Amino acid sequence: MDNTEYLRPSNLKELGQIMAGHKNRATVIAGGTNLIPQMRNGGKSPELIVDIGDIQDFSFIMEDDGFISIGAATTIAEIASSDIVSTFSPILASSARELGNPLIRNRATIGGNLANASPCADTALPLLALDAVIRILSPGDKTRNVVLNNFFHGYRFTDLGKGEIITRIIFPKPDDETTGSQIKIGLRNAAAISVASIAVMLTMEGKICRKARIAAGSVAPIPMRVSRVEQLLENQEISATLLEQCKAIMKKEISPISDIRGSAEYRSYVTAVILERNIQRALS
Amino acid sequence: MEQNKFHAIGRIARRKDGIAKVTGREVYSSDVTLPHLLFARVLRSPIPHARIKSINTREAEKMGAVCITSEDTPDIKYNERQVSIPEKTYRDRVVLPDKVRHVGEGFAAVAAKTESLAEKAMRSIEVEYEKLPAIFDPYEAMRSGSPQLYDEICLGDTKLPIESNIACHREVGEGDVEHGFKEADLVVEKEFRTGRVYHAQMETKSVVCRPEPDGGISVWPTTQSIHNTRQLLGRIFSISLNKLNVHRVPIGGSFGSSIQMNTCIPICVALALKAQKPVKLVLSREEDMYDHCKYPVIIQLKYGVKKDGTITAGELKTIVDIGGHNIQAYPLLGCMAGWFVSLYRMPHLQFDGTAVYTNKAPGCAMQGYGNPQVSFAVESMIDIIAEELGMDPIALRLKNYVGLGETFWGQGPTVRSVIRSCGVEEMLLKGKDMIEWDQRVSPDKKTGRYRKGVGVARGFHTSGTGAPTPGEVIDYSTAMVKVNEDGSADFSTALMCHGGGTLEAGAKIVAEELGIPIDKVGISPADTRSTGYDVCTHATRGIYCGGASIQRAAKEAKAKLLKFASRLLDVNPEALKIQPREESDQGHIFLPGSLEKHIPVGEVAKMAQYKGWGTAIGVASHRQVNCPPCFVTNFIEVEVDTYTGEIKTTRAVAAVDCGTPINPDLAAGQLEGGLCRGIGLALLESTDYDPETGRLTCGGTFIDYKFYTPVDMPPVDKVKTFFADTYESSGPFGAKGVGEAANNATAAAVVNAIYNAIGIRFAEAPVTPERVLKALQNQPDVEK
Ligand SMILES: Cc1cc2nc3c(=O)[nH]c(=O)nc-3n(C[C@H](O)[C@H](O)[C@H](O)COP(=O)(O)OP(=O)(O)OC[C@H]3O[C@@H](n4cnc5c(N)ncnc54)[C@H](O)[C@@H]3O)c2cc1C
Repeated sequence: MDNTEYLRPSNLKELGQIMAGHKNRATVIAGGTNLIPQMRNGGKSPELIVDIGDIQDFSFIMEDDGFISIGAATTIAEIASSDIVSTFSPILASSARELGNPLIRNRATIGGNLANASPCADTALPLLALDAVIRILSPGDKTRNVVLNNFFHGYRFTDLGKGEIITRIIFPKPDDETTGSQIKIGLRNAAAISVASIAVMLTMEGKICRKARIAAGSVAPIPMRVSRVEQLLENQEISATLLEQCKAIMKKEISPISDIRGSAEYRSYVTAVILERNIQRALS
Repeated sequence: MEQNKFHAIGRIARRKDGIAKVTGREVYSSDVTLPHLLFARVLRSPIPHARIKSINTREAEKMGAVCITSEDTPDIKYNERQVSIPEKTYRDRVVLPDKVRHVGEGFAAVAAKTESLAEKAMRSIEVEYEKLPAIFDPYEAMRSGSPQLYDEICLGDTKLPIESNIACHREVGEGDVEHGFKEADLVVEKEFRTGRVYHAQMETKSVVCRPEPDGGISVWPTTQSIHNTRQLLGRIFSISLNKLNVHRVPIGGSFGSSIQMNTCIPICVALALKAQKPVKLVLSREEDMYDHCKYPVIIQLKYGVKKDGTITAGELKTIVDIGGHNIQAYPLLGCMAGWFVSLYRMPHLQFDGTAVYTNKAPGCAMQGYGNPQVSFAVESMIDIIAEELGMDPIALRLKNYVGLGETFWGQGPTVRSVIRSCGVEEMLLKGKDMIEWDQRVSPDKKTGRYRKGVGVARGFHTSGTGAPTPGEVIDYSTAMVKVNEDGSADFSTALMCHGGGTLEAGAKIVAEELGIPIDKVGISPADTRSTGYDVCTHATRGIYCGGASIQRAAKEAKAKLLKFASRLLDVNPEALKIQPREESDQGHIFLPGSLEKHIPVGEVAKMAQYKGWGTAIGVASHRQVNCPPCFVTNFIEVEVDTYTGEIKTTRAVAAVDCGTPINPDLAAGQLEGGLCRGIGLALLESTDYDPETGRLTCGGTFIDYKFYTPVDMPPVDKVKTFFADTYESSGPFGAKGVGEAANNATAAAVVNAIYNAIGIRFAEAPVTPERVLKALQNQPDVEK
């Protein structure tokens, strides 16, 4: 870590200049809860760290014109205690409350959680289920939007190019017919990385499911939408038989690995269990 | 009984170290700074078993680092634990070895001006390893032809060849077990296993050393025993003890992991001696996790019982996987025999224990020293027997427990004494009501996804290791108490507080004995030069043994004080009493019944000074001739999610018979802490090793080493604690211990509760959701 340079721009303009000038060597740091451990264990050794912690424009939670926007450097703690988030996307609020521990939540940011692109990133699942879009600032002050579902390309590999920064996360306010549920299985309640987790959003018209969003974590190289299960549910009445089918397809769609937190077998089994549970909870 | 009249004992008082601790002003080893301080790093083996063929430190030296290897350190075999007599001490290690026996074993070290330079210098060292085949399974290790960790070690000063990786073996028997099993109506037999739990104490092992101009050295280490650290350093480095001063530094938790002199201490001393500058060494969490763990055991347990529940015989065979070094396996096996024998009466008994070397981090004492492991097996088995006999588990326990007036072995076969205080029955019966035991239903009557169950287990720990005769284990304490010239007092002792309030208790004992307010008692800083010997604050002995020496010293100081007062008041000293008085905020010496004959303690001390009578001071070096059991009982309710295998603990009752609770709030806290660690042992914790690489599968960090936390515990209002109403006449003001006892019964209570919830008996800990789910899938009547 000795040879790493550190810059902390105080506004967007300074940031833009730094990123344009050093786009090949700059690494963004927000809370540092992923990056610092990665630097310590030798996994990453950035030449230049650009701290976005002072940039006011990256830290907000806003409700506007049918959309919720969250600044990329908003901390998980702020999201967990936000009234807007609790009201319009309780599944994001509850996943934020279950991320890490109080120390981590006070530092960790939502942008860092997504950019780090771990398969177990807790906020990715509700955001996938909420059809979130992320806004990216590219060098030369260009802005582009990417649907979160297209953001994760592979294991810890994202759509972010050199010098690009996530500025905000945007998702539509769910309507009254849409409800969600989210469940994380960890080895304990406190500060546990997920063994398997699922977030679900369902839009109902009477007994018929019009739209389904299912996202699964820790069971594939990326946090993923499970579209085959979504298709199975859409325009159907949700019955016990349908749920059994969903569970079976779910197990086929995911590709969990065995590691210290759980075996592939266990992950596959509980993913199906929490899928069913989530759907039941969303409907109740 | 006296206990109702206490003014200090049993009072809830503000902790003397509380403000420093909560404001971050407490100075731990890693906070000690000295002029010209260098920082050390240890080079540790990435492979589990290897001979070090060559080490090249040239690059590191070029960077300005001071380097040491096995060639710079004394070739003296030592055992880091100095609690047993030398003839029972197995010495298998040196300061820096030329052969490493587990991943993470240090074999070279550097010191440099900054931490990062030290780290760089350490990484620049070139090493040539000769890889040796490694072994991770104790059964495989004992097989003939298996790779050997050692050819020979030293037992005391005598050479001891090691065969089949067996570090030591112990057999203890009484009566004739075969005969006992024949007399039984029912014989039950089962194998139990517990995990390789990591201590997870908050502070990682740390030390600061300063070489002194006279050739001596001063040390500020993480330790539970400053005196043993000093003696061992003196032996290894041939430094006369009067030139070797070890300071007591507050410890950031321990759970028994610093009973021994931590191996980083002699490494740091060697660096400081070579550099002739002060050196600081602070282990990382990963290094610490490769340094020690709880002893994992495999226990084969067999009991014979009569139809009425009377136990006729018991046999316990155990294999303990001790890892790469034998820190204290011999006394451990003795204690495990003692725990087994002292839980339930058995006319015929047999114990057979074997400790086996493997290429993993060494095991050492951890809260209970084999007792949670033995109790896990025994208390599970008692439930199994109760079910087979159709008896209530509580009734079966009440029928067979070793209690008042009976002999118990406590710390192994050589430490026997008679039980003189016992709250077992009270705790079982009161706890039973509190948890609503009578509403418990059998598992086959439960349905639905979530199933609750209630379990009970009991146990005990000894308060120290004292006995009427000297045994294998050294046990005594020294204390000094003096009355100051304003009526306050100071006491000094080499006892250590692990966070549980041992020194607070010492202050209350002094306050009570001298009749002065708790606020007026100061805890003196301690080092080995200014205190008499104290073996170690371990074995739940702090209050019962250490406190007894403090009380004796205080009594002596009080006798002198009363003698001085008797001259001033013209009253026979025996007729005088001391009591604290609120209005003057100090103790008053008075003649009961007289209005004139009274004088504040401070005035007596002051007058004694003016008149040249001397200081009212007392010193005592004292061995307890007993180590009374502090009994515990746990009731726990769990809720099993039969869909995911997850287990929640939803209610608990924890009770202890610690005699007089000197710090009731802290003792209750110990009960809760013990519960938390015990549930972790049952449900969550183990350090596993990858047999390919010999490395920890959790990687040595808390991201993947999970212990049970307050957030996982039952809600605060669902955890109840209480104390049995007992008085131990041999203890200071009736007190016994708490510390280790708090944790001994818990794991068994958890598995008994799981059985009551889903009808599945888990004999291997930790009971992870995966194991639960697998077991449930073989259980046809549970819906999935
Ligand atoms: C003890 C512990 C427990 C944890 N528990 C959990 C858990 O339960 N669940 C969970 O999901 N995670 C957990 N984490 C991981 C981590 O805290 C989260 O992923 C966190 O949200 C990362 O945010 P950060 O701001 O700290 O990221 P940083 O470490 O600052 O950055 C992470 C990565 O994202 C990049 N980055 C950050 N911000 C941006 C941006 N605006 N634009 C582009 N790139 C950016 C950085 O360059 C870096 O590569 C845990 C971590 C620790 C240390």
